[in-house]
Amino acid sequence: MKKGLALYALAAYAFLHVPLLILAVFSFNSSRFAVWQGFSLQWYGAIARDRNLMESSLNSLIIAVAATITATVIGTLAAYGLWKRRTRGFAWLSGSFYLSLVTPEIVTGVSLLALFQWIFRFLHLRLGMHTVILAHVGFSLAYVVVVVLARLRSFDRTLEEAALDLGATEFETFWRVTLPYLAPAIAAAAMLAFTVSIDDYVITSLVAGVDSQTLPMVIYALARRGVNPALNAISTLIVVGLGVLVLLSERLRRA
Amino acid sequence: MNRRSFLMGTAAAAAACTRGPRLNIFNWSDYVAPDTISSFEREFGIRVRYGTYESIPEMLAKAMTGNSGWDVIFPSAEYIQPMRNMGLLAPLRHDWLPNLNALDDQFQHPPWDPDLAWSVPYMHGTTGIIFQQNLGWTPRAWSDLWDSRLTGKLTMLDDPPEVFAACLKTLGHSLNSADPGELKAAEQRAIAQKPLVRAYLNAEVRDQLVAGDVGVAQAWAVTAAQAMAAAPGRLAFAFPEEGFPRYADNVAVLRESSRIEAAHHFISYLLRPRVAAAIVETTRTATCNGAAHSLLPEALRNDPVLFPSREILARGEWFAPQSANSQRLRDRLWTEIKT
Amino acid sequence: MKLRTAFVLPSAILMAVTMLAPLAIIVVYSFLSRGAYGGVQLPWTLENFTRVWDPVYGFIILRSLWVAAVATALCLILGFPLALFIARSGPRKNFYLSLVILPFWTSFLIRTYAWMFILRDTGIVNSALQSVGFIRQPLPLLYNYGAVILGLVYGFLPFMVLPLYATLERLDPSLIEAAADLGARPWDTLVRVVLPLCAPGIRAGAILTFVPCLGTYLTSDLLGGSKTVLIGNVVQNQFTASRDWPFGAALSLALMAIAIGLLLAVRRRGEELL
Repeated sequence: MKKGLALYALAAYAFLHVPLLILAVFSFNSSRFAVWQGFSLQWYGAIARDRNLMESSLNSLIIAVAATITATVIGTLAAYGLWKRRTRGFAWLSGSFYLSLVTPEIVTGVSLLALFQWIFRFLHLRLGMHTVILAHVGFSLAYVVVVVLARLRSFDRTLEEAALDLGATEFETFWRVTLPYLAPAIAAAAMLAFTVSIDDYVITSLVAGVDSQTLPMVIYALARRGVNPALNAISTLIVVGLGVLVLLSERLRRA
Repeated sequence: MNRRSFLMGTAAAAAACTRGPRLNIFNWSDYVAPDTISSFEREFGIRVRYGTYESIPEMLAKAMTGNSGWDVIFPSAEYIQPMRNMGLLAPLRHDWLPNLNALDDQFQHPPWDPDLAWSVPYMHGTTGIIFQQNLGWTPRAWSDLWDSRLTGKLTMLDDPPEVFAACLKTLGHSLNSADPGELKAAEQRAIAQKPLVRAYLNAEVRDQLVAGDVGVAQAWAVTAAQAMAAAPGRLAFAFPEEGFPRYADNVAVLRESSRIEAAHHFISYLLRPRVAAAIVETTRTATCNGAAHSLLPEALRNDPVLFPSREILARGEWFAPQSANSQRLRDRLWTEIKT
Repeated sequence: MKLRTAFVLPSAILMAVTMLAPLAIIVVYSFLSRGAYGGVQLPWTLENFTRVWDPVYGFIILRSLWVAAVATALCLILGFPLALFIARSGPRKNFYLSLVILPFWTSFLIRTYAWMFILRDTGIVNSALQSVGFIRQPLPLLYNYGAVILGLVYGFLPFMVLPLYATLERLDPSLIEAAADLGARPWDTLVRVVLPLCAPGIRAGAILTFVPCLGTYLTSDLLGGSKTVLIGNVVQNQFTASRDWPFGAALSLALMAIAIGLLLAVRRRGEELL
């Protein structure tokens, strides 16, 4: 069965990565259109010269990292708090996580914009990176909470009780008993949060300020005009860059 | 760290961020040449933030907040009056725009802004029918797009004013009609056409035309020109006989802006014939700048799709602003068409 | 203050600001009238809700529920073996996990365009099938519900795989060995031992896949060519081209109510919401 599973995994990975392969191949196309005409590096040159693109990518990265760290930390804490003991006081919180998943993005975006505009009348602020990060943490939280809660549901409560009986404080119990158990779920949740943040277009474009153009916004603009090998080049670079990071961390782990 | 040093540190940081004059420009994507902005920055010493949008509602949502941070925007002609009525635009100072006469004479006193008090025309265009030469027959009118031979090979624009325009023209009405009876009849035409339509696509249709997936498309002349340049000899463009829409994108300044003078410098810069000509050579769109037009290379200058003759243009009709009630009805009908 | 209250408080504040306050705004919007160019204005009206009752929208909502359910089921079937593989891959599991999520750090839009390129009439699949002689005319692989579901599965697979992995990772291999020792066949072991143990993961994955699928619009816009109309498309339309924010607000409230209703319906007695 193990071999069957491995074969299946290979097919699944192929399904996930084949579009990327095609994008990579055409990123070296000398023609602008989706018909192969010859090998060329011109698109990589074009995006290297594009200042707007570089700035947007940096913004996206900053926003995603900030939002992921914040959402993962407070989301994990919230999941733990909700799991520890059901209090009616926080039932609305579970409901709000669920609601944030079902709300169409445009609705979230428009209503957040309206909220910010109303607040800004009193606070003399503008839309900017801070509003985007706040919005991103808002919609990533649900993903973190759902994943961590799922893992908590299969956690043995008696382990905590034993620790408490042995004299540990509540916080120590959490820190030394439960948290290590949650580690895989926290990693998975962080990956999910990063994913939803780095690729968000609708909400970001609505609450972004003048200084907070992100990569999805640039990509969307380019893509709306039709096939553009510069987009292929961008996504190939991202995949190769992150892929190298992933490989490196695997090597380091083995060493 | 006490509060005082924190506040002073923040103030210092804020001051450092705002070194030098700035200008925030919000434009349609793909509407300037690669070096337009950087040359402007170098010459005037103004640092530009350049953002893009893909649709008017997107731009309006930001502009209507009154606090968006953008200075210069590019609204379409039919939105100049409404935006003026909403108090969103700043009046233009012609003493800061010496080269307004570079504009083509048909744009010196355009119907939507006869004194150019609020906007300066930038690029204009038309909508028509683009088709594959190997189709076997030549579509000449909007009504040809209801021909059942085109089932599965036809695309229409995903744009309510455009679809209504095509339908209204086949019924012989003005494309700016506000008459409920005419609009409802147009809606029925659109619904009748849906089974033939492969998809509702905007500029993305260009690649499908080049690849041969799509046989006939309602398309903007700009998109058509790009597709024809990519697939020479295979595609042709027709200006429908019943009449067709004309649109124009204009430069305007938001009233909320605190950099009115810098904004005028930019508008004046865009009006320079050399600058405008360079933009057209990259974007392959039709400029409103007459002086720039004469500087273009011959193939581009005489492109029949981008710069059709006056006789053809006379058949076109400008998009005009709709009244609130008419807009409401059109939007409600569009939802019904799309649902 | 109790520990659990302190833990929950930051999230509570954040959700109140980014979710509940905007929700209140949306509720207010749904009772207003549309502004001429977007936005809202007085007078107050119930017209938006009466419009929602139109059977056209009910039909679209049912269609969206169906599409989301199929996509979720496919994600579960396709994602479960993959999650199992990763959970059992020992020390390399983080590496394999990263490989799953790596494609999703590039733009979803670009990858969807890649699928359009593959599925087109002149695309790779059709060209390959035609050159081998399987078919003579190109298959209409694009601009229909099949393409949309494919796009949804492709886009949401990690949202199923990651939560599944989070619970499967805990699975004690000795339990599986014990079942085998007791004579159970692999299929029985799967259904009676593994599945019940990772039920929370399945539930989490289903929520993270089904619920966002309900509100999706980009996939049906691109892969469906704006011809496949799901409720997400209608709502999106109201806030953009149709400029009827109050009606869009009313529609999304209806959608949220249905989603909450579904969750309450499948919940067992005494179980928490999430």
